[in-house]
Amino acid sequence: MKKTVIDYSLKVRLPLTLFIVAVTFILTFYISRAERDSIGYAPEQPIKYSHKLHAGEMQIDCQYCHTAVTKSRHAVVPSASICMNCHSVARKDKPEIIKLTKYYEENKPIPWKRVHKIPDYAYFNHSVHVNKGIECESCHGEISEMEVVTQARGFTMTACLECHRNPEEQLPYLEKVNKGPENCAACHR
Amino acid sequence: MSKSRNETKYWKNLKEYYNDPDVFEEKINEFKDGVTDDFETSHLSSISRRKFLTLMAASAAFSATACTDYRDKGEIVPYTRRPEDLVPGIANYYATSLDGYTGNGVLVKTREGRPIKIDGNPEHPINKGKIDAAQQASILNLYDPDRLGEPQQNKKQISWNKAINSISGELKKAAEQNKKIALISNRITSPTTNSLIEKLKEKYSNIEVYSYELFDDTSKRNAWNKSYSGSLIPSVKLNEAEIILSIGNDFLAKDGNVVENIKQFSSRKEFVKEVNSNRLYVVESELSLTGSNADYRFPLKNSDQKKFLLTLLNGLVSKDAGLGSQFPIGFKTLIAKHDFAALSNIDKKNFDQLVNDLLENTGKSILVVDERASEEIQILSHLVNEILNNNDLLCFSKAFVDYNSLSNSDELKNLVNELNSGNISVIINLDSNPVYHLSYIDGFAEAFNKTAAKISLSQFENETTALSNYVIPINNPLESWGDFYVRKNVYTLQQPIIAPLRSTIQKETFLLSLLNEKLSSDSEILPLVKENFKKLVYEKNGAIVSFDNYWNNSLHDGFAVIKIEEEAKADFNYAVLENISFGKSAGGLTLLLKPNHFIGDSRFANNGWLQEIPHPVSKVAWDNYAAVSPNTADKYQLVNNDVVEIKSGAKAVKIPILVQPGTTDDTFVVELGYGRTNSGDVVKDVGFNLNNMISLDSDSPYSISGISVSKTGETYELVSTQEHHAVDDSKLKDIHLSRGIIREGTITEYKKNPDFVHEHDHPIFSITDEHEYKDHKWAMAIDLNKCIGCSYCVASCNVENNIPVVGKDQVGVGREMHWMRIDRYYSGSPDNPEVSTQPMICQHCDNAPCENVCPVNATNHSPDGLNQMAYNRCVGTRYCANNCPYKVRRFNFFDFRDNFADAFYENDSTALVHNPEVTVRSRGVMEKCTFCIQRIMDARSKAIAEGREVAANEIKTACQQSCPADAIVFGDSNNKESEVNVFREHKLGYHVLEEINVKPNVTYIAKLRNTESEDV
Repeated sequence: MKKTVIDYSLKVRLPLTLFIVAVTFILTFYISRAERDSIGYAPEQPIKYSHKLHAGEMQIDCQYCHTAVTKSRHAVVPSASICMNCHSVARKDKPEIIKLTKYYEENKPIPWKRVHKIPDYAYFNHSVHVNKGIECESCHGEISEMEVVTQARGFTMTACLECHRNPEEQLPYLEKVNKGPENCAACHR
Repeated sequence: MSKSRNETKYWKNLKEYYNDPDVFEEKINEFKDGVTDDFETSHLSSISRRKFLTLMAASAAFSATACTDYRDKGEIVPYTRRPEDLVPGIANYYATSLDGYTGNGVLVKTREGRPIKIDGNPEHPINKGKIDAAQQASILNLYDPDRLGEPQQNKKQISWNKAINSISGELKKAAEQNKKIALISNRITSPTTNSLIEKLKEKYSNIEVYSYELFDDTSKRNAWNKSYSGSLIPSVKLNEAEIILSIGNDFLAKDGNVVENIKQFSSRKEFVKEVNSNRLYVVESELSLTGSNADYRFPLKNSDQKKFLLTLLNGLVSKDAGLGSQFPIGFKTLIAKHDFAALSNIDKKNFDQLVNDLLENTGKSILVVDERASEEIQILSHLVNEILNNNDLLCFSKAFVDYNSLSNSDELKNLVNELNSGNISVIINLDSNPVYHLSYIDGFAEAFNKTAAKISLSQFENETTALSNYVIPINNPLESWGDFYVRKNVYTLQQPIIAPLRSTIQKETFLLSLLNEKLSSDSEILPLVKENFKKLVYEKNGAIVSFDNYWNNSLHDGFAVIKIEEEAKADFNYAVLENISFGKSAGGLTLLLKPNHFIGDSRFANNGWLQEIPHPVSKVAWDNYAAVSPNTADKYQLVNNDVVEIKSGAKAVKIPILVQPGTTDDTFVVELGYGRTNSGDVVKDVGFNLNNMISLDSDSPYSISGISVSKTGETYELVSTQEHHAVDDSKLKDIHLSRGIIREGTITEYKKNPDFVHEHDHPIFSITDEHEYKDHKWAMAIDLNKCIGCSYCVASCNVENNIPVVGKDQVGVGREMHWMRIDRYYSGSPDNPEVSTQPMICQHCDNAPCENVCPVNATNHSPDGLNQMAYNRCVGTRYCANNCPYKVRRFNFFDFRDNFADAFYENDSTALVHNPEVTVRSRGVMEKCTFCIQRIMDARSKAIAEGREVAANEIKTACQQSCPADAIVFGDSNNKESEVNVFREHKLGYHVLEEINVKPNVTYIAKLRNTESEDV
């Protein structure tokens, strides 16, 4: 029997195409997953501030700069005046500090690039988490080892729920820990 | 006969009362005509389409870049120097005052420096934490895109320096030419403004000050002066009155300091903790909010008020002759001529009871009359209170200060003459709108227009700025320094909460600039405010602390209390009674002009939130109308929406008709403040202007007799919210009567049978197991005895929860977005119906029927008893709204910010008004009351920070916070200390539609009327 063009298309080309499409999709889905969740995102900042130096080597407490983390839903990126507490004296001759001083003296806000972001319709509150004893590193990764701040974990609803459902597993350092709320209104309002 | 809900017929409108087939039709059809029609793309604004294309282009660009790199997340821009006490994400509160009429204090909530909510100042001695709907919604005016931003000369933008220089030049020119300068203003209650005007008058001796109010209360002040020579008008301690008789005084909605009145009145409608109720008699011509809360209401034509008062005096004196011992002989014979028979339509039994109640409660009752009634009526009311010893209820320490009296009609007419003759060559309009308001003074607009130099200060364009050479844009009250001295013992301070958003100055700065002949800055007003404060408060009080300390504390509190000694009231001047004439009735038709509930004298007209809150009684939104009684409508063959022409002398106006049960026959009641011709986008083509019908010369300027009315044959559509979204009370009337949506009775009935509310309850059982709420379980209770239906809660909810304005056309098809509605039911006869109001919000049912039908699980139940709504999960099937027995779900048929009047509410400026803690919903999602989840979460995070549990009565929802009657209670029903449990377990507590076993979490406390007989 003679093979027709239609036969060929249906029996060979179609399954082949479908297979290629499926494989490409699955591969792209898994390979790009981290990128889609922004894991590894490390934008270049206007001032090359190093958490490794400040939080790691010099062991400055996170809350010295992120002052609102126990009070507000925002941890707050520090105002330039906090940097100037030290840098009005310390390392004034370094190029990055000269940049900082210029911002401060011209009263211009520093346009830091945002690294971590959740959608507008999710209302995350830093203070409730930190006040329950959860450490910054549990979500933000080993910040004190980062030269440039990089997103270490996904900030998706899955990531939130993973921890809310199994806090004992995710936060082993907490002696007593309750399950986090899983209802919609806990985050969405 | 005992009244039970099976026997009382409630009706929402006249059609229903008369079993009109339309109503049956309406009940069968869930949606109004046109709602279910195919979607027409032309209904979308052009902006949407453009935005759609932009978005498509943007998403194409995004998807292209997304393959190559991480998505950009924008920037975080911190302060360079963070202001002290300002933490991003945490609200700051500032005390100030926005309104010189009541001098009420407000507390403004700000986030990251921008005001987002206005509430009453809880420490303020007059309004005690509550504030009216207009001031709550006025936050929108701050961000209104229609605000004027630059000074103009002959409609062209000029610089501030040039404006001040050329206006100073005009003033000097007038002085050189021996011409006068007229300064027109509304009533001034600010000592600082006043002192600046005085200084300006010293500099330019040719300045004449004219002040006016659309609703003039001069007769009230004059009458008090005649009765008690000279003293200031005292306030009334309504909370101490056992019997309140109001003759045409709408003190719960329009007259006096309404917030203060409601708080005092409702504090005496207490049935939950103890039975403690006053009794309210209302004698009135239109069905007002006060009348709808009356225990006994007598419909009476406005022109018969004097007759009623004289008859009442006759009744009192004939029961107790001693009361009239000091009456002059002539007056005695006059009142003897007024017997009850002359009062038609009034029930003899009830009238006798009123007389008895007043006699039995001497010293504990009060009579209040129409604020704008003639002097004779005011004097007679003083007399009744005097002979009944009710003066103990007058509070002289909180008297109303008469800082500046208003110009009378002769003075205003003289102003027109002087303008016409050219004697006045400069007019300074100090933030008023005389061309619109004073249209009842013949030829005012023409005379104004003739004047050489016209300078108008205003926040918005209006009828007067349109005719002015110079337009000076001024600050919003939230951007200004100031002070108000309205009540004798309270001096209220105003501080700026935000720097001016546009290039504006405050009106005091303008006056100061004229004084200095160069542009001054707003900061120069502060020393003047301080100076006046020092003189009028600090030195008077003899405070021991330093002035700076005293000032800072007072500014922080928003007010200072002035120490005054309680002065004894002067004696009543009986001689004044000799001039009282016989109380005649005026025949024919009467036009009664009233203030509006929300937009005031039109100063808040450009505020969509206020335009859209339905009228508390008629439920009409976005319009004014002439309300007539059903009988009068029949007589003139008028139906709703018919446009009539009302003529009085040479004046004629057109206005649509609304048949309003409870109006007295032959009376047309119209609220003023509508029909603007030059103003912002919102108020364009809204309502009808009847200002020119006021006749200031007559005895009763706002009640015009002898009008003629003719049908024009035109119609004009009024939209009302009562006919849709009403709880579906089924197609069969008998079933509806037994549903018990409203349950009420009388005190006597309650005392006899405390369980009467639950008499008809059936045992309810569930086929499934009860769900257990382990931790919190949020619940609300609404006391219908205290609720008067003022709708301030609706305003508060709108601001708190980012509720959009949808516009008249959308309200007309039943798409208003208010999460809270105040249902109003009538019962009894249409001539004098009884009114029941019921705030209706999401009931957060334990067995919520909406939850089961959501195909995407966007609405479900939280472990703390909330019926939650996840907007980003909603796909807009509207099954939930269809299944909700209370009809409290609202669907975003459009992106309403973008849909209203060419995206009026979608711009950088109005976006600032949004509460950052609540999602701004977009098109295609369902929304509803959340029990202010953002406030619950806020309290929770505070409790966690402090390592404690959420306290029993810690959380206040927005509606609860603003309720001047304290009718709303919210709390955790699992906590024994919660106040809400007292209400939930009370015998008067019931749930709406509880027989369908949805287990609602909003408990209503049944209303008890304080009437003698049981059949209401």
